[in-house]
Amino acid sequence: MIESIDLSRCTGCGICDIVCPADVIHMEQASVAPEVPGLIERKLLPVIKFREHCITCFSCEIFCPERIVDVHPVIRNRPRAW
Amino acid sequence: MSAMHGTLIDTDVLVIGAGAGGLLAALSAKRHGPPGTRVTLVDTWLVGRTGHTAFSNAWTVVVEPDDDLDAIAREIIAGNDWMADQPLVHEVLATSYERMKDLEALELEFPKDGEGRYVRRPTRGLDATRVLSPVGGGMELCWRLRRGLEAAGVQILDRIFVTGLMRGARANAPGDALTGAAGVHSRSGEFHVIKARATIVCTNAITFRSGFVRDITGTGTLLAYKAGARLRNMEFSYTRPGTPRFYFEGITFAIQEGARFVNARGERFMPRHEPVWGDEADVPRIARAMALERQRGNDPLYLDMSGVPEAVRGDFIRSKVKWMEYFYRKLGEETGTDLFDKAPYYPQNQMTKGGIRTDRHCRSDVPGLLVAGLAQPGAANHFAGFHIGMCIGTGWIAGRSAIEDLDRLPPPALDAAEVNALHAASFAPREDKAQAESDRLLRDLQSLMFAYDVSVWKHADRLAPALERLAAIRGEFAALAAPHTHELVRLKETEAMLLAADLILRASIERTESRLSHFREDFDFRDDANWLCWVDVREDAGTPRFEMTPIATPISAPGGVGAAVKRRVRGAA
Repeated sequence: MIESIDLSRCTGCGICDIVCPADVIHMEQASVAPEVPGLIERKLLPVIKFREHCITCFSCEIFCPERIVDVHPVIRNRPRAW
Repeated sequence: MSAMHGTLIDTDVLVIGAGAGGLLAALSAKRHGPPGTRVTLVDTWLVGRTGHTAFSNAWTVVVEPDDDLDAIAREIIAGNDWMADQPLVHEVLATSYERMKDLEALELEFPKDGEGRYVRRPTRGLDATRVLSPVGGGMELCWRLRRGLEAAGVQILDRIFVTGLMRGARANAPGDALTGAAGVHSRSGEFHVIKARATIVCTNAITFRSGFVRDITGTGTLLAYKAGARLRNMEFSYTRPGTPRFYFEGITFAIQEGARFVNARGERFMPRHEPVWGDEADVPRIARAMALERQRGNDPLYLDMSGVPEAVRGDFIRSKVKWMEYFYRKLGEETGTDLFDKAPYYPQNQMTKGGIRTDRHCRSDVPGLLVAGLAQPGAANHFAGFHIGMCIGTGWIAGRSAIEDLDRLPPPALDAAEVNALHAASFAPREDKAQAESDRLLRDLQSLMFAYDVSVWKHADRLAPALERLAAIRGEFAALAAPHTHELVRLKETEAMLLAADLILRASIERTESRLSHFREDFDFRDDANWLCWVDVREDAGTPRFEMTPIATPISAPGGVGAAVKRRVRGAA
């Protein structure tokens, strides 16, 4: 299941969002510390919006050009009953 | 209900679903169609990077010119316990080499040895059949196909989730044919209507979000049922042994190298239930043996990997698939999990084998509706490589048939009332609490459908009460409304699963014998005299009506030539 995305190093490219087959990551507008005091810098950053629906496919981690996504290998939401 | 607004797309051939079946169907339609033929491919997520094929090794059956085609066809049919459309299977095998050449022309590479021969492997449970896997696995296969389709001028629409197939104003009247599909953008929620003369459904098998690729749910099959198509093979499923908390793909190799199933008492139980093949038995029979152990109170059950020699441990977990490489590395590094220990195992329902009934040319009973991939139930077994081979083959055949049909099908005319109803069904009032409720009902459904004595080891006395429990879940579900588009997609998928569950339980009651992956405790024998037939189901005024359709056996019949399958296990995929 997806653990984290290091937003301090994120370029906002959005690849993690488009390759996700479970609609877990959404790019959303965020305010970040601006280069020049007084300006408000907005950019699109990934939000882990539906972590509980992650299928642990690693695509976000594999395709991230900055290598800042971390997926944990244990699947927590798999049905157990039989 | 909000006023309707959305996007209308007009096309000649609409392909729904972008796994191996859908990608090949789109390629085939474009290649077979006259210049200017409009082909549109839609998928709920990103075409070429998502779906079951993309996450697989893409082991694919290929019959080379010097192979014994008829022997391969016969052993695959026998290995399906004759639940196979024999002429269709034969054509898929006979054209598999041409299809591989098509893929090579899209710059997909298949490994060759030093003498220029393709590197192929046997597949578990068969003798003459050989499979091979492209460099980069399924992810590369899907991406090369996407690029090829783009170059050929196929319109690709990512993130369109289809919520209904349209019959138009002439439904069930002369000249009636499917008129396309409606759906929503899976992120923005924008309503889309796609008018098409021919529609090819390639939405995979129905699952209960249980296999590895849990974004696949097979909704197209149920939409086709609602649109009047007959379904087939609902009583069969692919249930493989698995671990509860992580995904392990190498079980076939592990068993070849000395891994053993044991029960809670430490006893090797497979030889007790499968005296000939033991731990190397076919996957459905391992599931059956596990269910019997559970019934006897001998669980939890384990796969003991400690017998796998150190020297080969690295080999069989080495994968062409990138995600598996990440997974194995991190499992050791981050969780300290030792794969080569004793891990709990139980049968997990990966997918059901129900699909939309077609003829051997992949045409359904509904004019204008064709089917490819695992949504096409031409074979009920799941040999490694054979199912993707069938997807590639049926995709090609369905695309060709769609083009042949174009001139015969009427120009599609939209029915405003039908479009409005589909819009209303996607834009019902929203409810914030629904997500938690929807997740809970899904877990209830999974518990019901995965119970060992319902899904694997069946009995009329248990299937009937399961239907009653299912009706209660469906009743609760009917009250849910989606809070947002993410959940709308999931709700539509769960709705389809609930319908599938109903048909699966009923079809399981119908088939009063045991065959392939359908095991009845109260009919624990294969009955070729009465049951060499498909169980088909259609909707009649909201009620499922079952019928038996005899299976033609022009190539292989039980007891006939080649009916006894020799089996190869070592080195198999």
